[in-house]
Amino acid sequence: MATETAIDVVMPQMGVSVSEGTITRWLKSEGEHVESDEPLLEISTDKVDTEVPSPASGTVTRILVQEGETVDVGTKLAQIGGAAAEPAPETATQDAAQAADAPSSAETPQPTRPQAPTAEERVAVQQPTGNGKFVSPVVARIASEHGVDPGQVEGTGRGGRVTKKDILSFIEHGAGAAAPPQPAAPEGPTEAPPQAPPAQAPAAPKAAPPLAPAEVLPGEQLEPASAMRRGIAEHMRRSLDTSAHVTSAIEVDMSKVVAARERLKKEYQAAYGVNPTYLAFVAQAAVQTLRDYPYVNGELRGDSIVTRNFVNLGIAVELAEGKGLIVPVIRSAETMNLLGLAKGIAEIAAKARNKQLLPDDVQGGTFTITNPGGYGTFHGTPVISQPQSAILGTYALVKRPWVIEDESGNDSIAIKPIMNVTLTYDHRLVDGAYAGRFLRDLRERLEAWEGDGG
Amino acid sequence: MAELTYLQAISDGLRTEMRRDKRVFLIGEDVGVYGGAFKVSLGFQEEFGPWRVLDAPLAETAIIGACTGASIVGMRPVAEMQFADFISCGWDQLVTVAAKQRWRAGTPVPIVVRLPSGGGFSGGPFHSQNPESSFAHIPGLKCVCPATPEDAKGLLIAAIEDPNPVLYFEHKHLYRRIKGEVPEERYTVPIGKARTHRDGDDVSVITWGAMVYTAEEAARQLEGDGVSVEIVDLRTVMPWDKGAVLASARKTSKVLVLHEDTRTGGFGAEIAATVAEEAFEDLDAPVKRIAAPDTPVPFSPPLEKAFIPQVDDVVKGLRELAEY
Amino acid sequence: MAVAREAEPVGSLHEVREAGLDREDLLGVYRTMLVTRGVEERGHILYRQGKIPGSFYTGRGNEAASIGVATAMGPDDVGTPLHRDMGVHITRGVEPWRIFAQYMGRADGPTKGRDGNVHMADAQLGLIAMVSHLPAMLPVATGCALAFRIREERRVAVGWFGEGASARGDTHEAMTLAGTRKLPIVYVCDNNQWAYSTPTHLEYATEHVADRAEAYGFEGVVVDGTDVLAVYREAKRAIEKARAGGGPTLVECLTLRMEGHAVHDDAFYVPKLMFEQWAESDPLERFRTWLRGHAEMSDEEEDEIAGGVKKLLNDALRRADESPQPDPSELTHGVYASLEDLDTPHHK
Repeated sequence: MATETAIDVVMPQMGVSVSEGTITRWLKSEGEHVESDEPLLEISTDKVDTEVPSPASGTVTRILVQEGETVDVGTKLAQIGGAAAEPAPETATQDAAQAADAPSSAETPQPTRPQAPTAEERVAVQQPTGNGKFVSPVVARIASEHGVDPGQVEGTGRGGRVTKKDILSFIEHGAGAAAPPQPAAPEGPTEAPPQAPPAQAPAAPKAAPPLAPAEVLPGEQLEPASAMRRGIAEHMRRSLDTSAHVTSAIEVDMSKVVAARERLKKEYQAAYGVNPTYLAFVAQAAVQTLRDYPYVNGELRGDSIVTRNFVNLGIAVELAEGKGLIVPVIRSAETMNLLGLAKGIAEIAAKARNKQLLPDDVQGGTFTITNPGGYGTFHGTPVISQPQSAILGTYALVKRPWVIEDESGNDSIAIKPIMNVTLTYDHRLVDGAYAGRFLRDLRERLEAWEGDGG
Repeated sequence: MAELTYLQAISDGLRTEMRRDKRVFLIGEDVGVYGGAFKVSLGFQEEFGPWRVLDAPLAETAIIGACTGASIVGMRPVAEMQFADFISCGWDQLVTVAAKQRWRAGTPVPIVVRLPSGGGFSGGPFHSQNPESSFAHIPGLKCVCPATPEDAKGLLIAAIEDPNPVLYFEHKHLYRRIKGEVPEERYTVPIGKARTHRDGDDVSVITWGAMVYTAEEAARQLEGDGVSVEIVDLRTVMPWDKGAVLASARKTSKVLVLHEDTRTGGFGAEIAATVAEEAFEDLDAPVKRIAAPDTPVPFSPPLEKAFIPQVDDVVKGLRELAEY
Repeated sequence: MAVAREAEPVGSLHEVREAGLDREDLLGVYRTMLVTRGVEERGHILYRQGKIPGSFYTGRGNEAASIGVATAMGPDDVGTPLHRDMGVHITRGVEPWRIFAQYMGRADGPTKGRDGNVHMADAQLGLIAMVSHLPAMLPVATGCALAFRIREERRVAVGWFGEGASARGDTHEAMTLAGTRKLPIVYVCDNNQWAYSTPTHLEYATEHVADRAEAYGFEGVVVDGTDVLAVYREAKRAIEKARAGGGPTLVECLTLRMEGHAVHDDAFYVPKLMFEQWAESDPLERFRTWLRGHAEMSDEEEDEIAGGVKKLLNDALRRADESPQPDPSELTHGVYASLEDLDTPHHK
């Protein structure tokens, strides 16, 4: 039964910059027993998706924030142990300031608060969809094969879970109504859009709260913005509102890098299983150049300028098919040689794509490189990752006719592999000439590349 | 058909092969004049003579090593460890020499090591163990664990016929308790093939050896609750019948793996992992294991009862899965 | 107090003839000794060239011991030679190119790259591949002898071990079984005085390893392992005694391991003086001198043998180098034997 004292489950702080999180899934329902450290719920923040382990053993007496809701860090989400009939808690939508302002009587029931649902109401909300109930692998598969929402099936398993038998009998006894939805033609502005069938995990959150009331016009499709998308939106806007963005570009003859890469490729692949990408070369040169340009690796913090003796190098990584962008960080990049950076980049990229990044992996960057050149673009003006002061863009490596001058001063045209590199910097801290010199030195490093550059 | 005890079926199998094939000989401690500690080879020396039923010195390394050498020059040796526990003294010969010889040097080692195993009679830490998982982990060895008299005879003949080192785990608890119809003629039970001991729809129990009967009793108790339990008797632990286990897992979607050996790293772990890996989308509950706790086998009856999985434990586990 | 018999050196050609070798045989033995040492010397070069993976062991100083015993074996006898016994493989007829292929882990080595160095044997030649747990091969050899005894065949098994291996229980168990059953087996102890870096007084407390034989109920004999003819004579006696039903014998061949445990080991722990003294009775040089003195081996004969060996090894190296690498896709094949695998010479 319930433990003597009630233990609160709160929205954790998943990294210093994270202020809120969305509940994507409850793994336990009210009345269920949970062990200490057993996963209790899943949350999504703008950087990381993770499980929250239960802080105590006991019965989940109350779930206070429902799936899909976004709440501030520190908000009470559930209660383990104690009595289920305790006063209604602060709710998801209540912001922290309000809570702080509340009088000391905040612990007593506040029936006037419109958004504080009673336990009964919460149950009522939960029942019809069946959300929050674990869907076993076989039930998920059968549901997806037959286009059935397990939420529609009455569960007879433990805690009302839908068992394989339940869903099979549901299908057998006329689940025809729940046939796989067809891509229907829009019928009118008031018609709700066809709900996409839950692909695999029907218990996943249906939708996060919309950013603004969205009216759907004919031909439009509505999809909820993920926590990550909302985070990106907020960050991009805030960065442009904060920094004075200016972009300078330079052309780099990559002949020596190309040659060095050809030499090292086989060795790195064979001995370390790592591909020395052009990005790794540029990263190595950039990190070395940053030593001489501390402001580019610095930060304007209030009225002070911060410079550093280390480089935490952010690498912008695109997630699968437009799912968003994440900037994992290679710590102390200044201590790494080319191999170390190549490995580091490959590792964080893989972690990002496999959703294995930890909060620490995406924090504390001091300078960022973004590499949109893979698609052939030759120029761009990326947005600075706050609170950094610059971001380096690398673009497509293309063979171009290039004027070269021999020792006696005669010009001729040669074919050279050329890469455009941009530096987008915060003009509040970094002057144009300073940025120009940084790019010049960076180019010289790359054009004079030797060996593994270490 | 004759009704034989499990022990008589083993004797019958061995005698059948020794009569049929002059290359087969038995070597072990006290297997000759005394007929073996459990009397499996009672009367054998009179029939086959002292050079085909050999009383060995108390030297398991020499026994298993000698079998290896003799098999390489064309014999079909059967070694008896007086208790399965003593095989630790012959580990090197089995694992270092016999198991690897075919793969690295192309030399087959067709030997059988008979291993009276299992507890339930206050044998204590050194006369009760079920070490099959240790050897199932060694590439090149086969491990069979018959549960019925019919399988005991058929698997022993198959083991002798097999061109590899085969560890034949004969469960002491079954020796005289279990009786069954056994064909009088020579036959083999294929190594690596499981047997459905009981048909069911709701939960599968994957088990072998004496635990087949524990599972059977538990299944009978659950019948009253309307829960239909399927029991798969693995019969061979290595190479194990993955297909049969996965088929049963797909049928019932709920799997209980039961063994008398200790839990961590027991062979049940391999089965559970494989079911999770290959039948994930067919599961309607987590794969459950019931096994002995991670301790040596205790001596005192209440302790031993707490050690060996009991019918009640299995009933409880099956209920949990059924209600999941 | 030593209880084992100490064998006399072999004196004359006449004495050797009585033991069963004629002049042609003797030149053949000399040639085998040259091939044995040559294979290991060339192997050492390959190793230093980086062509042999893993580690590399030689039996320098043990050629007379291994070849003397192998020469005394009959064609149907079987043996379990160890890593100082290259001479046994050469005597029984393993082609050097296959040994080089084995060293290099190639597909044509007897283990097809699945095992390395002298961990090999050609079953067709009556040999069983050793494992690294050296005395573990003694119970196996004993089992061969047991099979011969059960089937009442006139065949003998020979099991090799070192003085280091004598310390382990396998040796004791094997000899106990063979002694109680009077099995047709000869145990050959290559006592090269160093088990890696451990000297003999830390491996056994008797004067000789062979002294133990009496405790197992059979004869022990110590022979100078650098004298190929003395080894041959003692091995022949022991093997024929076993064949006739007289039970086991332990023949201890006393030598010095003239190199480190493996090539990475410079054997700093062996006194220099010891190396110098034993170098004076190098088995090859000793036999060559004997052949010139007692069997009138001529310069021409000597050159012809040396030239032939050189060519054999050159050809072998070339052929081994052409042997393909093993195919990784076959790695998992043959973990278990099939019934067809039983169709080997041993399993008739």
